[in-house]
Amino acid sequence: MAERKSVESLLAAGGGNISDHLRLLADLGHDFAASLDIEETLRSAIERITTYLDAAGGALFMLEEGGSTLCCHACHGATEITGLTLSSDQGIIGRCVQTDSGAIVRDAADDPDFDTTTDEQTGFTTLSILCAPLSVHGERIGAIELVNKLSEDGQFTEADLAVLQALSSAAALAIINARMAAELMEQERVRRELELAAEIQRSLLPEDRGDGFPVHGINRPARTVSGDFYDYFGLDDGRICFNLGDVSGKGMNAALLMAKTASLYRCLGKTIHEPGLLLSKVNAEICETATRGMFVTMVGGIYDPAAGVVRLANAGHEPPLHRAPDGSFAALQAEAPPLGIVPPVMPDDAYPETELHLDGGALYVFTDGVTEGYLDDGTTLEVEGLKALLDEVRDRGLRERLAAVVSRLDPGDAPLRDDVTILAIDDA
Amino acid sequence: MNHEVTEEGKAIVVALEGDVDLSSSPDARKILLECVRKGRPVIVDMAGVSYIDSSGVASLVESLQGARKAGCEFALAAISEPALRVLHLARLDTVFTIHESREAALAELG
Repeated sequence: MAERKSVESLLAAGGGNISDHLRLLADLGHDFAASLDIEETLRSAIERITTYLDAAGGALFMLEEGGSTLCCHACHGATEITGLTLSSDQGIIGRCVQTDSGAIVRDAADDPDFDTTTDEQTGFTTLSILCAPLSVHGERIGAIELVNKLSEDGQFTEADLAVLQALSSAAALAIINARMAAELMEQERVRRELELAAEIQRSLLPEDRGDGFPVHGINRPARTVSGDFYDYFGLDDGRICFNLGDVSGKGMNAALLMAKTASLYRCLGKTIHEPGLLLSKVNAEICETATRGMFVTMVGGIYDPAAGVVRLANAGHEPPLHRAPDGSFAALQAEAPPLGIVPPVMPDDAYPETELHLDGGALYVFTDGVTEGYLDDGTTLEVEGLKALLDEVRDRGLRERLAAVVSRLDPGDAPLRDDVTILAIDDA
Repeated sequence: MNHEVTEEGKAIVVALEGDVDLSSSPDARKILLECVRKGRPVIVDMAGVSYIDSSGVASLVESLQGARKAGCEFALAAISEPALRVLHLARLDTVFTIHESREAALAELG
């Protein structure tokens, strides 16, 4: 086995013309740097290397399947073996990869590691071999193997090995760079798709109706997409239908179920004006296509501004808080499990409803991202903290109050712990 | 999250310990579903659960649904205070069969 040699040692080895070697190295380096298709560039590199070192054939093998196999990605001359797969310790090329060192084999038949299988399959007769590993900082990628030197008595020289090692280092670096570039492009593609999904999600939230409107909400996702949602829309009789929900888990699967649930609620909410029945209908639909145990906790209701009354149903959601004008709070516990878990027994089974007189106060509906959100001192807000904060900002307008809650939980440059969503109805 | 699976009588007892959250719930899901597939009663001992989030609860829900499909029983036992609070708040205590202790669950299902 030959020792790895530096490019400088070429001079000592005295093989070939140093300026030709450097020109080929520079040309290949340029090709690799400009490459848009690494496989195509490797094929052309193997052709040039094989021709330059005057070999009958050359092939580039890369480690695959977690390093257990070597697969030929490019070849030139001799026989076409692209796609040929060997065990990663098979033959002289396997030895070269495993020991991470180059080799000059004068007579393949005399080398105990020589594997005759490929010759038997292709009908080619391998006489001499030159092999150099492809590796960067100990990360093994594969190897380049040349067979049958056509000149100089059919033998590869130390100088040939030094040249091949210099060229294989450049190729290894190019392969690593191409892999990293491909990973970055994939990440960028996923990021763009997530942003598009987030844009669609934002379009599912209702338009901000300004200061004069009695209902307002804020949704701040912890990641690009959110598993939380809220909605409100006016009914013909002047009442306002609203909801706020939280899908189990996070990420794209939660975002998709969020989109489905929000759409179902908005569609059915235009004709079904009983919150308990509405939630039951949404539940039936979600149960039909439920997957992976995912569920949605939701508060859905109808607010009648003329009477100052809210009728709501709570499906397994964090209890909403009613703040009366005297500063007292009442929590409205869930009376049924979340949507998507228990299919209705009868089609018209309704979720239990609660009627609440707001009496000039306000109703706050929020996700656990609010109560479990971190404050500056590392503690969580909790329900008591939220009540104290709402007391603090009681004299401000509705939109300002909600903005104050969200800004208290916003760590600024760092991501939120969880999606933060809050909706309020102001009966003042 | 740590877990321990033991066979007691005809029942399989899965003890979960630590946080069952977004990072550990895929493991909890895999362990529970493997047990449910055996078609025997499954008891989840939750005495050591320090925290459970909605993704963890979803793993329990999916296992319960899997058990129902397979026609076998699925129960939660000895639920820690923080986990019970979550299940109670979401009224999931009406969905799951819950036993005070592992022994009580085994007396019923083992």
